[in-house]
Order: sequence, then structure tokens, then C-alpha cells
Amino acid sequence: MDCLTIPATGRTPGVSFDFANGHLRMTGESYPDDVAAFFGPVFEALRSFLDDPDGGPIRFDMELLYFNSSSAKALMNIFQMLETVAKGGRSVTLTWCVEENDESMRELGEDFAEDLRHVVFQMREMPAGGPP
Amino acid sequence: MLAQQYASIKRDLDDKGIVFSFSGYLSEGILYSLGEALREKMALEAADGPTIRRVFSVFVEQMQNIIRYSAEKMSGTAGRAVELSAGMVTIGMERGKVFIVCGNTVRNSEVPRLKERLDHLKSLDRDGIKTYYREQLREEPDDGSRGATLGLIEIARRASDPIDYDFNAMDADRSFFCLKVSV
Repeated sequence: MDCLTIPATGRTPGVSFDFANGHLRMTGESYPDDVAAFFGPVFEALRSFLDDPDGGPIRFDMELLYFNSSSAKALMNIFQMLETVAKGGRSVTLTWCVEENDESMRELGEDFAEDLRHVVFQMREMPAGGPP
Repeated sequence: MLAQQYASIKRDLDDKGIVFSFSGYLSEGILYSLGEALREKMALEAADGPTIRRVFSVFVEQMQNIIRYSAEKMSGTAGRAVELSAGMVTIGMERGKVFIVCGNTVRNSEVPRLKERLDHLKSLDRDGIKTYYREQLREEPDDGSRGATLGLIEIARRASDPIDYDFNAMDADRSFFCLKVSV
């Protein structure tokens, strides 16, 4: 699979995984009525991409403005998958985007970053009013 | 008589500062629509994005707790699988803060465990809540909880005052559970 594109809805995030270029992005908000149904196909596509032993560097941009606690568990799964391949030697950079003044989202980023040892984690501030 | 009775219900709500109230069968669809109205109202009142999201987050976790754990449910097929959970949600303003009170029926057998969780959360300070969140984020959900622990921690984390809860025994099997959170 070269890419996985899922347009954002009011309560599910936009997913644009450009596997060919190793650029993965999630945008919008995440509080699906059925978390497993939404994230199942996302995990599946990501897993097969990460399983490729010849894979190049990965950039993951996390641009969610809001996610609920069930989505937090799903995101944790994604980051653990990234950490595993980073540990195996693949270059992975995770950029956690926060709107300026959104202390809750900044703190959540720190919560997730806590046990990333091999993934390069960086925080990026975005202007208020959402990503351009 | 009719208008008088309902005006009295409305006056009770107004006196408590309640601006949104819903009692009855809740669904994910109602969560979405009520959540949109809540955010639109706060945006019109010129609340900033992070504040709106903090209130919204407590609202979503509270609503999903009712949807998942209410002991009063209806399910069946109406063209597609439908599951509705009874409960109530009220949102209001009090001393310049938004508060959300949710209520639903729970089985008495679940009360001790729920009390234990809530008391534990109430005993923690800000840093304690943060550490607890980080631990639970890495835990597999325990049997039957479907992630309730993380949801309750998220609620406590966004609250500006300690969370307040109460139980009212209904009969030998069930109690009415209420959770009040100010943001």
C-alpha cells in the first residue's frame, strides 16, 4: 500500500499516511463512537508498512486538536509500534503539534513522550485557530 | 396547570444555573449534537480554544460513561443495531465556572468499586493525577471497565475543583449515581 487517506469527520481524525515518502499525519479531532472500528484499519495499514525491513526514515506529525481517553489508548499503541521500529534502527521523528496556550495538549504530549527512547520527539507550536 | 408545572421545572433548572439539560435515553448521536451546541455557545461567549476543549473533554468522558455503564439500557434492532442508555446530563455556570453534572443508574454491586476509584482520584493532587494518568495510559483495561479508569482520570485532570460525587439508593439492586465536575 502506497498510502492511507481517511478524510476527517466531525469526530474522527483525518489520516494521511504517505507510506512512499515515510510521511504520516493525523489531524482534526478524535472521539469516535466506535474506537476499535476506526483505528482497526489504521493499525493494520501501519503495521504492514512498519514490517517492511527496507523502510526508510519516518516522520509522524500529530496535529490533533482534541482526543478522548479511548483514542489516547489507540495513540499509545501507534507510538509503541513506532518505538519498536526505532529501536530496531529505523529513524523515526514524532512531531507533537499544539496550539499556543493549550497547556492540556502540551502536557499530554509529555505523557506520551515519557517512554520514547528511540523515537525523536519534538513539540511544535501552532497558532491558535487550528492548523493552516 | 401544564405551563405552570413545566415553568416550575424550568425555574428549578434556571435557579441552579443550568443552561443545558437532557434526561432520558442517550446515544452517541446525542453526545455529538449536544457537544456541538455546548462548544458553539462557549465560542459565542468568547471562551478561548483550550478552555472550550477542557470543558468539552469532561463532557465527552461523562457522557461516554453513561452510555457505557448506565444500568438502564434498551437495545434491539431498528433497521440497525441500536443501544440506548438512560441517564441525565446538565451543564451550567456557577461562580464564573462551567459545571457538568451527570447522573445514571448503577447496580449496587458496582458501587464499592466505583467509590474506591473516585475516592482515590479525590485524594490525589495535580501531580498525583498526572502520574496516575501516565500509568493507566500504559495499562491494559481491566475486565469490564472498557477504559473507564483513564476516562475518570481525564475528568479529574481537567477539573478546576475536586470532583464531587454521590449515590442515592433506589432499591435493593440499584442506586442513582451523580458526578459533578467544575472546569
